[in-house]
Parts: sequence; C-alpha cells; structure tokens
Amino acid sequence: MDLELSDEQVWIEESVNTLLDRQWPAAQDAWHAGEPDRAQLWEHLVDFGLLSGVGTDLGAIELCLVARAIGGHLASVPLLGSVAVRYALAPHLGELPDRFAAVLDGESRLSIALLEPGGGWSTASTRATVESKRLTGTKAAVEHAAVTDHLAVVARVDGEPGLIIVSSGSPGIEVTPQSSVDATVPLSRVTFADTGVDAVADRELSQTILDRLVTVGGLLAAAEAIGAAAAIFAQARHYASERRQFGRTIGSNQALRHLMADLHVRQASGWSTTLFAAAALDDGMPGARQSASVAKAYVSRAAREVAHGSMQVFGGIAFTEEHPAHRFLRRIIVREQQFGDAAHHERELGRSLAAGALRERVAV
Amino acid sequence: MQLVETAAERALADEVRAFLSSESFRSADLPRALDDRMAVLRRWQAACYEAGYVGRAWPSEFGGGGRAAVEQIIVDQELAAAGAPEFVNVVGLDVLGPSLLNFGNDDQRRRYIPPILSAEEIWCQGFSEPEAGSDLASLRTRAVQDGDTYVINGQKTWVSWGQYAGWCGLLARTDDSAPRHRGISMLIVDMSSPGVEVRPMTQITGHAEFSELFLDDVVVPKENLLGALGDGWKIAMYTLGHERGTAALPRQVKLRTWLDRAVSLAAGRALDGRPVLEDPEVQTALARALIGIEVLRHHAYRTVGEFLSGGAVGPESSSVKLLSAEAEQRLTGTVLDVLGPALLDGDPEEVAENDFWYETYLYSRAASVYGGTRQIQRDIIADRILSLPKE
Repeated sequence: MDLELSDEQVWIEESVNTLLDRQWPAAQDAWHAGEPDRAQLWEHLVDFGLLSGVGTDLGAIELCLVARAIGGHLASVPLLGSVAVRYALAPHLGELPDRFAAVLDGESRLSIALLEPGGGWSTASTRATVESKRLTGTKAAVEHAAVTDHLAVVARVDGEPGLIIVSSGSPGIEVTPQSSVDATVPLSRVTFADTGVDAVADRELSQTILDRLVTVGGLLAAAEAIGAAAAIFAQARHYASERRQFGRTIGSNQALRHLMADLHVRQASGWSTTLFAAAALDDGMPGARQSASVAKAYVSRAAREVAHGSMQVFGGIAFTEEHPAHRFLRRIIVREQQFGDAAHHERELGRSLAAGALRERVAV
Repeated sequence: MQLVETAAERALADEVRAFLSSESFRSADLPRALDDRMAVLRRWQAACYEAGYVGRAWPSEFGGGGRAAVEQIIVDQELAAAGAPEFVNVVGLDVLGPSLLNFGNDDQRRRYIPPILSAEEIWCQGFSEPEAGSDLASLRTRAVQDGDTYVINGQKTWVSWGQYAGWCGLLARTDDSAPRHRGISMLIVDMSSPGVEVRPMTQITGHAEFSELFLDDVVVPKENLLGALGDGWKIAMYTLGHERGTAALPRQVKLRTWLDRAVSLAAGRALDGRPVLEDPEVQTALARALIGIEVLRHHAYRTVGEFLSGGAVGPESSSVKLLSAEAEQRLTGTVLDVLGPALLDGDPEEVAENDFWYETYLYSRAASVYGGTRQIQRDIIADRILSLPKE
C-alpha cells in the first residue's frame, strides 16, 4: 500500500526526460518543430525501447511516466495510440489472430479511431461497422493519422463493438485534417468506405480489450495533462520568485502564495490519483476501471485549473503568442477531452454508485 | 509500488474484522450523556489496547506493540470501516504520545506512554490561547522557573476532552528575551494540580468536547519539561505535522462509509414520488464527493509511503490536510444539497438519521480550521514546498 516509484521506474522517467531535453526544442519552440523533427524524436523513443517493452518491462505506471514527460515537453509524437493499443492487446496476444502480433511486434505507429462525429466517448455509441472483413464508417479527432502506420478502429463486428486493425494506406480510407486546438496534436477525420481490415479481435475478447484500451488511454491522456500542468506551474513559480512589482517580489504576496499552494495541491494530487489508477490497472485490481475514471475526471478539471492559475501568476505576458503558457493550456484541453472529460466520467461514476444502491433497495 | 495487500496484511485485517464482529460496537450506539459516553469510550480503547490494536507500532518497551507502522494503519482503517468510534485518547495517541516518544527521556516514556495507550490517563493539549490561535508563537502563558519547579500562569483554549484529562501537554513561554519561537517550552502538567481550572465549551454541534483551561500559579516539577528548554515550538510543529500525515488514511475510510450511507439514504428517500438517487444531477454530485475522497486516499498513500519507508512526515502532509478538509466539506455539503428537502421533512422515525447529517455537516466546518487552518497549510506549502519569498 504505497505509491513509491522503484529505482527502475525513476530511471525510466529520468532517461526519457533527458532524451526529450536533448532531442526536442524547448516548450516555446515546440510549436515550430516540423515533421522531420517529430519523426526523429519518435525514432529516439523507439530506440529507447518504448514500443518493444509494452506489456513486459513497461506497464501502465511506466507508460504514464513517459506520457507525463511528453506532456511536460509538449512533444509531438504518436505515443498515446501506439502504446495504448499495445498495452490493451498484450495480455491477449496468444488468443488473438496472428496478424495482431505481427502488427504489434514491429515499430508500427498506431492511432486510435474511436470517437465518431456527433458521438461521445462511450464505445456503445459506435456506428462504424465491419461486415465480411470490410469496414465502413466515419471517425473523428483521430490523432496523428497522417503519419501512423495502422489505425486501431472501434467498430461493430456482428453487432457488438470490437477492436480492429486497419493499415493506414488501405484503399477506401480518406484522411481529412481537422482543426486542433493544439497544433502539436494533429487531429483528422477519417472515413472508411468498404476498407479491407487487417485483423479483427474475437468477439469474446472484444469488451475486455476495449475496456482496457479506454482505461489506459484515459490514464495516458491524464498523465500528459498533468505533465503539461506541472511544467507551466514550475515556470509560474519561478517567475513569481523573480518578478518585482510595487517594490517587492510578486511571489511574496499572500494572494499569489495561497493561489500557488492550491495549484501545487491540484497537480501533486492529480499525479497521485493517476499513478494509483495505473498501478491498479497493472495489478489487475477489480476497481481499476473505476479508479481510472476517478483519475480522468479529477485531472481533467485539475490540469486546467493549474494552467489558468499559472497564467494568472504571469499576468499579461502569458496572453502573448510567444509565451509558452497557452501551448501548455492547449495540450491540456485536448487531453482533457480524450477518452472522456470530467463530466463524462462523473456521470459514469454516479451511475454506478446509484445502480448498486437502487438495486439493493429493490431487493429489500 | 505496492497496492495489493500482502498475505500478512490481509490476515491482520481479517483478524481485526473478527474482533469487531465479536465486540460489535458502533459510534451510533454511544450514549448521549457526556460522562457515560466518556466511560464507554475509555472501556472501548482499553479493550482495543488489550487486543493489540492501539500503539501497535510504538516501542514494546513502553507498552506498544513494536510492529511495523503499516500495521497500525491497517487496524485504523478496519476500525473506521466498521464505524467503530475513534479512540478517546486521540490527543495522547496522535499528538503528545509521539512527542514523548521523540523528545522525552526514558523516565518520561516509561511513566506516561502505557496509560496513554490503555486510556487509563487521558491527555489534552494546551496549545492555543484566546490571543494565539493560528499565530501560535504569540502565546502568552508563562512558566517561570522557581527552584526545582516551574510556576505557570495563563489561559488555554480548544482543549479537547480537558474536563476528563489527567495530563496536559502545555506550551508556555519560558524566555521572554529569546526570539518568539525559541522562548517556548513544552511542559507536562498534572490536571489535578492546585490552580488548574477547566471550563467546558459547547460547540456548534451541541456537544462539549472542548474546554477552556485557566492556570493560576500552577506548580510543575522541573522534570516535567519535555525535551530541552526552548524546544516547545519544534516539538509542537513535529507533532502537528505527524498528525496531519497519518490521520488522513483512517479519515478517508470514515468519509467513504459516510458516502455509502448518503447514497443509500438517497436511494431510500423520495422527492415527488421518485427516489432522490434516480436524479442524474444527484448521481453526479455524489460522484464528485466520491472523487474527492478517492483522491485524498491516493495522495495520502503517496505521502505515507515516504513515512513508512523511514522518512519523516514532511510538508506534503499539508496537501493531504487540505484535501482531507475539502473532501469532508464537499461530502457533507453535498448531502445537504441533494437531500435538503428530505432532511427538513423530519419524519419522527428518521430524526436520528437527520440529526446525524446536520451534526456531521456542522462538524465539518472545523475541518479547515483545526490542526492549522487552511490558510496556515497554504503558507506551509508556499514556504516549505514551493520556496516562495516570504511576505
């Protein structure tokens, strides 16, 4: 019953942070890094063992450590989909068609295609459909779709939502860039018109795999948001200790000291709850999905609060385009939405609290 | 990182549950009259001590169990989950016992620790004063050396269980010339000494768990000094930090039992002919209360981990304290929000349940005040974690 990182986990986090410090521009310049820079950073991360270790050396805890570092550096790489899909499938590879293992074994970059135009993050609202190994449907806000090798698509197979893998270049796929509030997380609308699929998960495993996918996906999104929030907060704290107004350092004003104390609590506890949920998922604890909902709901509000508060500390300078504050805020907003925002998870948690109590009531 | 209980931890939790089912004792069963309540609570703590559930991690040479710190946390969580009342000698266990263990000499430990554990001797703390609340260092109570004794004069307030206490851990100024934090010492005061007067104070809940304490030429032998002369502030800060860090885990378990109770109440009470709990807004409000409690638990695990692996309870305990007050106040406020009309209705059969929620709500206002106000906790974080410039 403790949440202390092991020496190896600390090493992974430090190594990834060092790698990002060296191979990726500082946050205020990350916006301008083009596709060659992004591809090169990705190569470095793959060389580090990011993909081959998922499910063995890298559990949800380690992946969240990496995601937090990515968020703190505003790095632009197809990390989330590539590792979340591997993590979701890893325990089941023996039971799945060989094609899955073939896709995941290599250095394949993956995007998750779950959300549909006008739909929510619940997989139950999926309309995309696979019939006779052909996929038809439209997906929204697919991340890094222009560069990834495969798409992990949530689609109905025999009427039930399941996970399928499609090669990005397959005939019938059309990728249309969408506006993204964070240019370092490019989003696209992807339509599939009678597209041949690579691999379809067995029906008995579909729900288990999808649950695991959205759970780990939500945690990775939360970890990135907390990384971004912690980074802007660290800058605000530094600024408050240097900037002088009215003849005194602004960080000596109680209004700002107390604001920053609250922001510290939000980002520190946001990380604790993310870490707890990741550990619960790795350990296969029964409440893991619920813990992930708690973490995603909390972090979705907390990270934005930390960014807002930090911008308030900076004052007017944080309202300029050149200042990195808004870059972090933009990353936080994108991650807040993915795999369900606070309201989505609060509704889910509320429903499950109520379902138990109302059932007991009927039984009495 | 370790979330799953070890076999030994599970065995201990099972043992405590078995003990609790044979003792079958819940806060709800306590007598209302304060004297009777006190007597029952002392017997309860004594029975738990007998079973090895009090001071389990304290050194065995002073009557403790000599076990790992995590075992006491497991025991406390099981007791809280079963709705058992908190140990009545809480001030001795959470504040002055740890002070004695860390700063006392062996004579003091041998003399005072065992009866703290068994609740034979109740302890109170004489820290706050009418003019020294959050600004504790401005306290005015004086202890003047006179031969082999100190003579104490002054007034203390917020003295929990003062009217039942046999001993008081008292902060007093022993040196007027020293800087204000340094001139304070901690003294062990026999509450039956001549010149000690206790006046109970009634709280907003209607109970009188606190007292005012008046000291008029109270004579204390020199050997009742805890630590060195002038160490009082250091000892008080150590123990308050300790209390903040370790009390949160049983607290979150208790909050969870309250949340579950609120959820079943919302399932049982109707508004306009429908169970209150069927309203999606009610469900979401309760989910937010759940999130507050869960995040408190997760953050407390992370800070307690540092303590369990041998570290001190550091300033991060102030974050835990803030989250704890927030979770408690959100929960009790939510119950009023979602069950307000049902609580006002006051069906005679449901009076006890309604009173519980009003009392719990009123009590929760203190959560952001006691043990250092919310603002004091923010100052600690600003100074000691964020290293922001001082005002």
